[in-house]
Amino acid sequence: MGPAITLKQFSLTIGDNTLLKPFDLTLAAGKLHLLTGPNGAGKSSLLKSILGLMPHSGEVTLHWPSVPEEKETHAGLIIPAYIPQLATFDATLPMTIEDYLYASTQSRAFFRKKTPAQQLQLNQLMQQVGLADKAQRKLGQLSGGERQRLLFARALAQNSSFWLLDEPMTGLDQQAQQQIESMILRLKKHGCTLIMVHHDHDFVRRHADNVVVINGGLEAWGSPEKIYGLPRITVDLSAPAYSTVEPPATTRAASVQQPISQQFTAAEGAAL
Amino acid sequence: MIDLLHQQVSALVDQGWLPDMFQYPFVTYALIAALLTGPLLGALGTLVVVKRLAFFSEAVGHGALTGIAIGILLGEPATQPIAGLFSFCLSFALLLHWVKSRTQVPYDALVGVFLAFAIALGAALLLYVAKKVNVHILENVLFGSILTVTPTDLLILAVITFTSLLLALRYANQALMAALQPEMARVQGVGGRRVNVTLLDYAFVLLIALITVAAVKIIGAVLVGALLLIPATTARLISKDLKQFFSLTLLISTSCCVAGVVLPMALELPIPSGAAIVLLASGLFLSIVLLNQLKLLKTA
Repeated sequence: MGPAITLKQFSLTIGDNTLLKPFDLTLAAGKLHLLTGPNGAGKSSLLKSILGLMPHSGEVTLHWPSVPEEKETHAGLIIPAYIPQLATFDATLPMTIEDYLYASTQSRAFFRKKTPAQQLQLNQLMQQVGLADKAQRKLGQLSGGERQRLLFARALAQNSSFWLLDEPMTGLDQQAQQQIESMILRLKKHGCTLIMVHHDHDFVRRHADNVVVINGGLEAWGSPEKIYGLPRITVDLSAPAYSTVEPPATTRAASVQQPISQQFTAAEGAAL
Repeated sequence: MIDLLHQQVSALVDQGWLPDMFQYPFVTYALIAALLTGPLLGALGTLVVVKRLAFFSEAVGHGALTGIAIGILLGEPATQPIAGLFSFCLSFALLLHWVKSRTQVPYDALVGVFLAFAIALGAALLLYVAKKVNVHILENVLFGSILTVTPTDLLILAVITFTSLLLALRYANQALMAALQPEMARVQGVGGRRVNVTLLDYAFVLLIALITVAAVKIIGAVLVGALLLIPATTARLISKDLKQFFSLTLLISTSCCVAGVVLPMALELPIPSGAAIVLLASGLFLSIVLLNQLKLLKTA
C-alpha cells in the first residue's frame, strides 16, 4: 500500500509572492486524493513541493504502512511515480517508445545491446499500458493519449505505490481520457496513494476518496459529497470522509506486497 | 608504444599496403588523433543535439580565442597554450551555466552575450599577443594542424577519450534522460538510480571544455563546436531509432575526422585539417538534406 502524507505548517513563497498560506493536512494511505481549485491557485506548485522540486516551508512527511517506522522519510528521498502536466518530448529526436523506456528504466547504457531479461521487462511494460504494438514508433508520432500511457509505463517501472499526477488528462480526447482514467483506477485498486490535480467534477464524484480545494492555501477538504453537496455517482463509499487521519498503525507490519508493475497485467493493457 | 605503432605503420607502407605519406610519424600521429577525436566528439555531440546546446558548444569553442591569447600572454608556448585555453574555456562555460540558472534571460540571448564578450576580449588581447609572437602561428591552434600533434597530445587525448567512454557506460542513460526531461529525471530517477541533474549539467560543461582542448590540435578550437553539432544533426535526419542515431553519429564524426586529415595530404591541398573535417561534415549534411528533399518530392 502507498503512504499517508502529512503536511505540517506547509507554505510556499516565491520571492515576495505567497503562493500558499500555511496549513496542515493529512492525506490517508491508499486513497485517491484530488487537488482542485481555480487556475493559478497553487495546485501544481503544491504537487511539485511534495516531490521536492520547489523549496517550501513546513514539513512534508510520508508514512509508509508496509515498511518499518524508521524508514519514514521526506518525499525528496524516495522515488515516487510522477506524471507531469503536458510532458514535452522532442518530436524530431529519433527515439522510439522502446528506446525511451529502455533509457529511462534501465541502468545499462542505451547504446548497448539489451539483455533478454531487459527486453522481456520492456515488453511487459509496453503490454501493461497497451503500447506493445507501437514499440518502434517514434516519440514525435505519438498521440497525446499514447504519450501519457508511455509516461505511465515509465512510472510503473518504478514499482512505486505513491503517485503524483498533474492534470494527466488535459488536452486528451474522450477515448484517451478513458484509457488514462482506467489506469488510475487500476492503481487505486492496487492500493496506491494517488494525489492528482484534476478539474473534471464528474471524475471527482465517481472516483475520488478525498477532495482538497486549493486557492492560495487550503480552502476546503473532505469527501466529494461534503465538498460538492452531491451524492456519488457510483457506489464507492468505502473511503472515509476526509479528516486528519493518522496513518493506520495496524498496517505498518503488513507484508511486503507484490511490486505495482507486476500487479498490472498485459490483459489490462490490451483492453486500453 | 606510439613509436611501435608507427613502426608497424611504416612496415605496412613498405609492403605497399598504405600510401607513402604514412612513412612520416606526424601523419600516423594525426591519424591516431583523428581516430580518437572522432568518436569522442560524436558521442558528446549526440548529447549536445538532444540538449539543444549547439550554440553553447559553439560559444565555448569561440571563447578559445581568448583562452589562447591569455595563455600566450602568461608565457605559454604559442603552439600549445593548453593551460590558458582549458582554464578560460572551463571558466567561461561554468560562469555561463551558473548565470543561466540565476537569471530569467533566455538562454540563447545569454549565450550570445557571453560569446560576444569572449570574442571582443580575445580580439583586444590579440593586439598584445601580436607583439610577442607571429599571429599566424595561432591559425594552427584556431583551425587545426596535423603537423603539431605530438605523442603527449595523443596520450592526453586517449585518456580523455577512454574516461569519457567509461563515464558514458555508467551515466549515458542518466545524461540522456536528464537532457530530455530534467524534471522527471530529478523526481523519478533513471534506471532505479537517483539523478543529480545539476551535477550532470556541470559535468557536461566540464566535458565540453576538456574536449575543446583535446581536439584543438586536429580540428582547431574554433571548429570543435561545429564537429560537436554537424555529425549528430546529420545522423538525426536518417536514424530510425536511438541506437542508430548514436552509432551513425560516431561513424560520421570518425569518418570525417579521418578523411579530413588524410584527404588534404593525399590530394596535396593546402587546407587546415579542421577546416577539411568540418567542410566534409557540412557537405555530408547538405547532401542528406537534399536527398531527403528529393525523396519528399518523389512521394508528393
